[in-house]
Amino acid sequence: MTQDRLLDRLPASPLVPGILWGLTYVGARLALELDLPPRIRLIIALGPVVPFMLALAGVVRAIGALDELHRRVHLEALAIAFPLTLLLIMTLGLLDLAVGLSPDDWSYRHILPFLVIFYAFGLWRGWKRYQ
Amino acid sequence: MEAVSVKNRLRVLRAEREWSQAELAERLSVSRQTVNAVETGRYEPSLSLAMRIARLFGMTVEEIFELEPDRA
Repeated sequence: MTQDRLLDRLPASPLVPGILWGLTYVGARLALELDLPPRIRLIIALGPVVPFMLALAGVVRAIGALDELHRRVHLEALAIAFPLTLLLIMTLGLLDLAVGLSPDDWSYRHILPFLVIFYAFGLWRGWKRYQ
Repeated sequence: MEAVSVKNRLRVLRAEREWSQAELAERLSVSRQTVNAVETGRYEPSLSLAMRIARLFGMTVEEIFELEPDRA
């Protein structure tokens, strides 16, 4: 299968699978508050992976359709978001050693919104730079 | 190493043809923001885009883009 044919099979836009992922994530988050059997909890926890992969495929296809400036802005956003994420995880790790962070306040699920914020900040900075 | 930036005559060439940024963007298959960023010197286009611009105006890349020492 050629690369073009492979791209044709990917979702045309990340929007619909992205929304689906958001809904399944929130749904899984709420469902995991319930007292369910471990096997069901495992399935629920892994549920958002499928729509996320579809959204990721949509992102890959959408990036392929962007012009070079837009691609650069997204690349620069990643270049900002990635080290900020490293900084956050490193700092939380050290703080955990220093004072012992509560998992109710700081866990993987609490870090997720920060990643979105970091990327959005990178996008905002990129557009400001090139406008 | 001497710091240089790329200057271009894109805005002048576009104005001579009375094209809007959107019209030029459409002819180049890029976004209007890209045309604006190139014109204002905030973004240096790829070689591919520079060559497409040159071809569109019937000129060489060097006639549109030139290296200039940074004043900073």
